[in-house]
Amino acid sequence: MNELKQICKEALTEKKARFIIAYREDKNKKTKPFIARTPEDAEQIIFNHQAVNNLAVYFPRFKNSGEGKIGIVVKSCDLKAVTALIQENQIKRDDLFIIGVNCSGVVRDTTMEFSNDNTQIKCKYCQAKTPPYYDELAEESKEFEMPDDDQAELMARIEKMSSDERLEFWSAEFEKCIKCYACRQVCPMCYCEKCIVEKSEPQWIDTSSTARGNFSWNIIRAFHMAGRCIGCHECERACPMDIPLTLLTRKMGMVASSEFGYRHGMSLTEPALIGTYSTSDKEDFIK
Amino acid sequence: MEEYIVSLDNLKKIADELLNNHCRVIGTTSENKFKELNYAEELVLNPGAVPTSSSFKEFFFPKTEPLFFYKQNHSNVDLFNPIQDKSKIVIIGAKPCDAASLPIISKVFNWDYKDDLFNSRYDNSLIIGMSCHYSDEFCFCNDLGSSPENMKGSDVFLKPLADNYFKVVSVTPKGAEFINEYQKYFEKDLGKNKSLERKEENPKHFDYDKVKTWLDNNFENKFWDTAGEMCLGCAQCAFVCPTCHCFDIVDEQNGSCAGRRAKNWDACQFSLFTKHASGHNPRDNQEKRYRQRISHKFKYYMDKFDEVLCTGCGRCSRGCPVSLDILQIVEEINSLSGNSNSIQ
Amino acid sequence: MEEKFEPKIVAFVCNWCTYTGADLAGTSRLKQEANARLIRVPCTGRIDPVFIIKAFENGADGVLISGCHPGDCHYNAGNFHARRRWILFKNLLDFIGIDSSRLHFSWVSASEGKKWVDIVDDVIDTVRAKGPFKQYKKMNKEIEIPVDVEEGVSAK
Repeated sequence: MNELKQICKEALTEKKARFIIAYREDKNKKTKPFIARTPEDAEQIIFNHQAVNNLAVYFPRFKNSGEGKIGIVVKSCDLKAVTALIQENQIKRDDLFIIGVNCSGVVRDTTMEFSNDNTQIKCKYCQAKTPPYYDELAEESKEFEMPDDDQAELMARIEKMSSDERLEFWSAEFEKCIKCYACRQVCPMCYCEKCIVEKSEPQWIDTSSTARGNFSWNIIRAFHMAGRCIGCHECERACPMDIPLTLLTRKMGMVASSEFGYRHGMSLTEPALIGTYSTSDKEDFIK
Repeated sequence: MEEYIVSLDNLKKIADELLNNHCRVIGTTSENKFKELNYAEELVLNPGAVPTSSSFKEFFFPKTEPLFFYKQNHSNVDLFNPIQDKSKIVIIGAKPCDAASLPIISKVFNWDYKDDLFNSRYDNSLIIGMSCHYSDEFCFCNDLGSSPENMKGSDVFLKPLADNYFKVVSVTPKGAEFINEYQKYFEKDLGKNKSLERKEENPKHFDYDKVKTWLDNNFENKFWDTAGEMCLGCAQCAFVCPTCHCFDIVDEQNGSCAGRRAKNWDACQFSLFTKHASGHNPRDNQEKRYRQRISHKFKYYMDKFDEVLCTGCGRCSRGCPVSLDILQIVEEINSLSGNSNSIQ
Repeated sequence: MEEKFEPKIVAFVCNWCTYTGADLAGTSRLKQEANARLIRVPCTGRIDPVFIIKAFENGADGVLISGCHPGDCHYNAGNFHARRRWILFKNLLDFIGIDSSRLHFSWVSASEGKKWVDIVDDVIDTVRAKGPFKQYKKMNKEIEIPVDVEEGVSAK
């Protein structure tokens, strides 16, 4: 813990970064994102099991915001978002000062202590507790028990359903949506300056939270994440109506990997899946 | 006046009768959510439960509702009024922080234009409040002149007693009428059932008058540069809030030459909220939008309607994806106001 | 006698191949069923999946998308980009419950008037067998003029 503070303090003192996007604890002991601008601010920086937020979501607002590198504290899973943003030309590696942390799992429910039952599913599939690349590395990683993947069960159940049953399942889930767009706002990959629901000439997607408006919004959101979602599960965590949003993005990730052998956010140099093509893409469904 | 008590079973029987009389009965369920009940059995009253994740405002001010429908008829446009559901709305088990919201937002819906859609539901409703035995680090009803026993907004108020009984307090004439109508389910209070008291008092966090004075004088203050800096600009806070009432009006097409004009929830944290047709946006960053949220709640609404646009339920903070805590922001303002009232 | 269900099919076709192919079917006097409404777009690469959603929203029972064969794209690679998108979108819709009997894809060149007729007839038959897209139409209910509305008033 002191090590992370020290690294951040040094980085700010020596101007390796003009500010650092990091985590702090508020007076209620809640871990939340904040921006450390001075070495004194860095005193507040912490990292723990409650550090769930994917801080890469803050990048777009600092695009072209001045000289100097942007510092960021990242877990291994968050680093995928950073990589993906670099792949999609949203940010340059050279503009970043990446402070990697060895992560020992994060909680699913932030109101409860970290435990085997209260660990995010993504931690089960975490391939590297140490971020694959960084400018500085902090924290000791501790072993932790892998959580159960209760989502895989639900996924299997849906896959076994008939298409009518599936449509019924998703219509009922989407009906709950209140169009607060928390899923969009917390997503580090949702960086469009103008979202498709905001395009009003014509209005492609109804802004009303009707069955129709909700259905279209959720389908298109999932499609825009297809092959781009890096699996940070922030959308589902943020959803106040508890819609299982990551089921959709996870399914699309599975399709991207089975059809194209592609996983987003894994390589700085590999071109992104969407926006490129191969002449050998499968076409058995095209008559 | 005679004092009454009621058992949970009898409350459910009342709910059953209301349902049979085609009332919309809204209560908390085992999932701790407000829901339009299909059966009285679904009702679960737990004074110790955390406030539901969403408030019940959607039953008075739905997330989307039609104002009218239109259809082109040669060179004319035919307009059709939507069908209003005129059934009586009965809310069972509203916490003081929920019940208090209705008289507050009723002011804005009746200030200039009288909003018939809201009024027709609110006037035709009965709110059965219940004292609250819950408190966490996000609750602050005490600081806004309310309390876990406050009856503002309730027509009938329930105070939990031992063995699933509730002491019944009639708050408004409407409430008295209701108790009269369902007299057979209420029993005389013989003082047999012990009342369940709250374990602890809610602490006081800030002095509202000080906060208001600071807000009056500090529209331009460097505090705002960082207060809402981490806000991501979603509307979770506004949409779960019992008092947030902003809406947007849109036309929606269905097929060709027909559609509807709808009134939808909107929120000041969206960048589109203040964007002009010219492209200019007076609140062009999240910091300004966050200042608007706090100022509207704790200053503007007080200036205009003599009410704080907040009941202290803490829902916005509990659900915030980046753990922005409205209470901590107001506490910070409170401590700033201790130092100076001057414009910095 | 029970009336035969006539499905509404929206076909998004590229200007250079399929539209011309469909035109050829017409000039060749080939017979086809009349359920498909063609929407001409410059290239299959121009078809945003939101178009497909919009078609369903507006009452389509099935959607057909057709363009140039791989390698024949007027813009060289538009159809390759489209194909990649379709793979993802088709799988997504399938997972959500809109299966491949409602969403069809084909390559039809300018010379394949006969193929176009066969495909359109086949799509119409498949969608007809599946029946009207009731579930999606149900979602429109909130936006439709309610059946027993109060008398409408005319506004000039």
